[in-house]
Amino acid sequence: MTTIVNSAGPSRPVSGGSFDHTSAPGGTVLRSSAGLAIRGLRSIRRLPSAFIPALMMPIVQAIAFSGTFFAITKIPGFPTDRSINWYLPLACCMGAGFSGIGIGFSTIRDLETGFFDRLRMAPTPTASLILGPLFGAWIRMMIVVTSVLAVGFAIGARLTGGVLGIVNLYIAGFGVATVASGWALGLAYRLKDMRAAALMQLTFFNAIFLTNAQAPLFVMSGWLHTIARVNPFTNILRLARTGFLGTVTWDDTWGGLVAIAGMGAAAMYFAWRGLRELGN
Amino acid sequence: MTATITTGAAARSPHAADGSRVFLRQTWAMSKRSILAIARQPALVAPSLIFPLFFAALGASSFSKATNLPGFPKVDSFLSFALAGSIVQGVLFGSVTGGAALAIDIEDGFFDRLLASPTSRVGILLGRLAGAAAFGAFQALFFTLVLIPFGVRIASGPVGLAVIVASGGITGIAIGGFTAALALKTGSSEAVQGSFPLLFVAMFFSSAFFPRQTMQGVYRRIADLNPISYLVEGIRGLIVDGFDTVYVAQAIVVPIAIGVASIALALRMLSSRLAAR
Repeated sequence: MTTIVNSAGPSRPVSGGSFDHTSAPGGTVLRSSAGLAIRGLRSIRRLPSAFIPALMMPIVQAIAFSGTFFAITKIPGFPTDRSINWYLPLACCMGAGFSGIGIGFSTIRDLETGFFDRLRMAPTPTASLILGPLFGAWIRMMIVVTSVLAVGFAIGARLTGGVLGIVNLYIAGFGVATVASGWALGLAYRLKDMRAAALMQLTFFNAIFLTNAQAPLFVMSGWLHTIARVNPFTNILRLARTGFLGTVTWDDTWGGLVAIAGMGAAAMYFAWRGLRELGN
Repeated sequence: MTATITTGAAARSPHAADGSRVFLRQTWAMSKRSILAIARQPALVAPSLIFPLFFAALGASSFSKATNLPGFPKVDSFLSFALAGSIVQGVLFGSVTGGAALAIDIEDGFFDRLLASPTSRVGILLGRLAGAAAFGAFQALFFTLVLIPFGVRIASGPVGLAVIVASGGITGIAIGGFTAALALKTGSSEAVQGSFPLLFVAMFFSSAFFPRQTMQGVYRRIADLNPISYLVEGIRGLIVDGFDTVYVAQAIVVPIAIGVASIALALRMLSSRLAAR
């Protein structure tokens, strides 16, 4: 019987349990991952200064964008007369993305302090070193998206697509968090220091803004229109907005699901390869 | 106990004129150090040069049709409208870097070494702010020159451009005063970097990105009260409309007023820090 360490102490079993390698491999991976996810969540309490900005930024963004750019809803053909309905899903996706990037930051800290080396030496399933942080990012995403939604509804957002719209928003949140986690972990494993942090934020920020983030495609012109049309994040934002811009339709949904599946798989592969290279 | 901020050399010299000269020399040395620090670490200041341009480019593509909306000022392009916001945004973000540099001086003990030396206390602060001023003026010129090839025209001509550059420098001092105050209060670069969201909010609740005339309700009221709105509108008037003393006054007087408040606050924080030693 072996025990993996966590930040609470070198010999304390994660989640109050230890890892029995005689159990089914799938079960071990899940238990190890759950342990690492819980450790990641504990860091919210221990280091709130690292999580609070990731929570506050999307809330501030939703409020600020919907107030500042209120007038664009007056453009003929704009899909809603409430600017918060347009910007709330964007803020949720930003929050989801930064939940994933936050996991990348934690991993960099673990790499710099040497804790990650201890994790790798422990007889922990390798997959759990990626799945654990990913589960942690999903839970962070749920906290952030739910908080942003609550503020959004409080300042006037109206759900037009029913429960399915909310489901689509959370699916988009899970997708963005997965893509951001994979990307952030991959960069963290390769660069191994805080240089990766700047790169994670910058690339994610650009990827999400080079879409229909600020205005619908038909309102855009020039280079941004060309990029936004082919940027898969545009489809994810379309999926996230389905509940806030009329009724939920399959036409607005499937593109986002395909983008999440494709980019999620690619990002996870990027992280996996990074972890393998780190081992070598 | 109340701490008195003295110019160290002046306190030692019986001759006020000599003291002033030494004070100026020390302040100049500190200014040179903070300006050189910016030049030597381009990676630290690059985001405050790149992001405002990125936002301006995004806005120009996203909101070009919004220029026809009722209440939107008559402009050649959205980019001309956006330039003023980009300048103020860049200066605001750059000032965070300046404040963080002062906090790093405190964290790594360099600030204490300065205090232990016969250096003017005020000169330490003014030197930092001089760096912020130089970088703010550079940013104003840089953003303007980068956007001119993309169709931006400065309607007020070279004189207006000089006012815009001066406004960038004074705004650098004004906001740098606040971030320096925060650095002196907390002694933590992380806390200074944490002020970024506050500045971000202050920018968005102003007319930096969209005209006040198109806003409604509580957003409009906040933007009406936000001095950044008047600063941006002064610079924007010089870019879009032409030379007007009202625009010059807005572009220069508003940051001076903010600067007086922020420097007073920073001096108070410096005094508190000295008293705590």
